[in-house]
Amino acid sequence: MVEVNRRDSYEEPREEESASVSWVARIASGIGLVLFLGSVGILGYEGLFRSGGDPVIALSVESVTHDGQRWLARVRAENTGGETGAQVRIAGQLMTGQTVVETAEAEFTYIPAGSTQEGGLFFDRDPKAHELRLRVLGYAKP
Amino acid sequence: MDTTRPMDTTRQRALLHDEKHFAHALARAGAGAVIFAFPLLMTMEMWELGFYMDRFRLALFMLITMPVLFGLSYFSGFEETFCWQDDLVDALTAFGVGFLVSAVLLYVFGIIAADQPMTEIVGKIALQSVPASIGAMLARKQLGEGDDPDEEQRKRSSYPGELFLMAAGALFVGFNVAPTEEMVLISYKMTPWHAILLAVLSVALLHVFVYRVGFAGQESRGKATFLHVFMRFTVAGYGIALLVSLYLLWTFERTGGLSMMELVTAMVVLGFPAALGAATARLIV
Repeated sequence: MVEVNRRDSYEEPREEESASVSWVARIASGIGLVLFLGSVGILGYEGLFRSGGDPVIALSVESVTHDGQRWLARVRAENTGGETGAQVRIAGQLMTGQTVVETAEAEFTYIPAGSTQEGGLFFDRDPKAHELRLRVLGYAKP
Repeated sequence: MDTTRPMDTTRQRALLHDEKHFAHALARAGAGAVIFAFPLLMTMEMWELGFYMDRFRLALFMLITMPVLFGLSYFSGFEETFCWQDDLVDALTAFGVGFLVSAVLLYVFGIIAADQPMTEIVGKIALQSVPASIGAMLARKQLGEGDDPDEEQRKRSSYPGELFLMAAGALFVGFNVAPTEEMVLISYKMTPWHAILLAVLSVALLHVFVYRVGFAGQESRGKATFLHVFMRFTVAGYGIALLVSLYLLWTFERTGGLSMMELVTAMVVLGFPAALGAATARLIV
């Protein structure tokens, strides 16, 4: 990129001047080049190896707390798939045997591919006293 | 800035490569990036597009940004340049400034955080760095003093130069609204008659803004006939504005699943701000 044999015709600078671009300019443009190639490189790599496929969303309970009135189950949703899920609706069901005793729902606006989002489900009963079944209900393509 | 004062060329060139002068230009570029990019930095759709838009389209968008920055540096830029190496240095510097300004502001707004995945952070910053780096490049014209008018006029008067400036203006102004949901929403609300009316209005404003209203940088028609100028600049300019609109809609994934009629209407809707950008390119670039 630095080697130049033929110059553009609009101006004819002498050799020693183009070689004397100030060190500030060299550093600034060097940083710009690294950032440019780095981000294009990362995006190109992602495009080659990550794009396509469907959202694969796994749910897990982070913690269960009681706020004096209701029980809060904090939920973590991780998308290990290759696509972002939008408007991802999840439900948590408290089970006694095969009977659903209580259901709570939440919606995530976005769960980007490869990323984790957190939310919470409120229950009137103690989730620790029941089996808490988490389900992803559906999503929309962004 | 000293470069606009009459002085011999040797001294001008010495100034260009002077550290203090360059640091000054760098600070102005940062100011330009903040001023031009903050509306988009504060637009929700831009953050969302940053992580969900197709990675190849985003990478392609960035690859296209670099020659645009190079061309803008040739025509104006944040410091005066004298050879293509200088333009390359300035284009890369403007990108770096735009990238860093976007990164800092997105962090301060709480849009990016260290616990997000790499691709999400890079995507959000990369998308914002396009308008921010163009803003950094335009800082000279907008915030500093102008180029040597004779030299600038000479560069700009070529026909390809005119077309490039119109395309850059269309891209820059169109970009400011293209990511929003309203572009497609407006096109849903319009009938074909509305679309034709908007297209006619866009062409008329493009022509009037360039040749009639008397803005700074207005073109003079000279001896050329109305029809000649209209075909050569206005129609060509509107064609460029429509192509830029279509490209932006495709980049932001607004074209998927639309019928041909809806696609053309959306293109005409975004073509309106793009045509205004093409018409006023001489003012902002």
